[in-house]
Amino acid sequence: MAAKDSPLKQFEIDPISNIELVGYNISFTNSSFAMMITVLVITLFLTLTVNTKTIIPSRMQLISELMYNFIAQLLSDTVGDNGKRYFPFVFSLFMFVLIGNMVGMIPYQFTFTSHIIVTFALAAVVFIGVTILGFVNHGIKFFSFFYIPGVPFYMHPLLIPIEVISYLSRPISLSVRLFANMLAGHTLLKVFASFVVSMPFFTGVFPLAFIVALTGLEILIAFLQAYVFAILTCLYINDAYHLH
Amino acid sequence: MPQLNPEFFVSQLFWLAVFFTFLFVFLWRVSLPRIATVLEKRQNKIDENLSSAKELQEQAMEIEKKINDQINKAKLETDEKIKETINTLQEDVSSQLSSLDKDLEKKVSDAEKEILKSKDNQMKNINNEIAKITKLTVGKITDIKLSDNEINKVIETHKGNFN
Repeated sequence: MAAKDSPLKQFEIDPISNIELVGYNISFTNSSFAMMITVLVITLFLTLTVNTKTIIPSRMQLISELMYNFIAQLLSDTVGDNGKRYFPFVFSLFMFVLIGNMVGMIPYQFTFTSHIIVTFALAAVVFIGVTILGFVNHGIKFFSFFYIPGVPFYMHPLLIPIEVISYLSRPISLSVRLFANMLAGHTLLKVFASFVVSMPFFTGVFPLAFIVALTGLEILIAFLQAYVFAILTCLYINDAYHLH
Repeated sequence: MPQLNPEFFVSQLFWLAVFFTFLFVFLWRVSLPRIATVLEKRQNKIDENLSSAKELQEQAMEIEKKINDQINKAKLETDEKIKETINTLQEDVSSQLSSLDKDLEKKVSDAEKEILKSKDNQMKNINNEIAKITKLTVGKITDIKLSDNEINKVIETHKGNFN
């Protein structure tokens, strides 16, 4: 298979316009374009479908309210009343990842959530924010998060490093989970798409049918990963409030 | 793998920061408050409707209670009236029956008196006839002239035997 037909070619970043800022390359790329589309879709949809004048919502407004209630419920289930303050952030995060994944499902569209640097940045924001929140809420006591009560004392030298490592690997697991899911799904789609073209006669319909089914699965995964990202963020916020 | 090529890392991070910050601020300040007001408004409306429905239900229950009270009252009143009417009717009937009885008794006694009277008259007539017949017969058979008084005396003495 030639390099230009590689299933990973879809993840390549092409600058649309080259911009440089104090020596750094901040070109507006196809990835940035996908982010812009995502943000536009979310803001326009959530603003235009919601009519504050009427009591009975339109069908589109129901979707917006459904999303709102979904995340509000998620936050109140995991964090409780404290969670209301973080609702805009968790909601933005969920919508950004969800619509980013969905925009990526459009053929020939770029999937920015398949880039580890993007997902890692999002996860890092969550990780740093939650850590700061933990210190703000508990001060130096936040370190007791790594101390598991009710364990024999001689186990602590082993358990505390494990806890620290698991805490520090949170942003990695959070970002790699999303990145790897998107990467794998889109690569698989591309591989099967190349089968459709390369297989002789009408046999190409079989991988085509598989792609159709896989697209459905990918849409499910797109939602699921956004959900997982949001619920893990909620759980981390909860940890920052209730140490153990 | 293009993901690991650091050439566009800064660009990716920069535009991510720009767009995500914009999205966050926009949703936080514009979209979410709008949805929240809509939901709150609807909840208020629902609560309002529910409370007014509850109020109406209470009113309806009160009215129903009043209606039932009135029905019960009306029933009691009707029962009393029926009893009263029955009583007066019974009194009427008994008084009429007693007056009827009296009338009948009077009529019976009158009739008995009449019968007795007519019986007496008949007996007198019979006696007179007997006297006449006796007078005639005696006059024809014998030459004895009997006075009416004598005949009557005889008849009076034999009266019991004829009966």
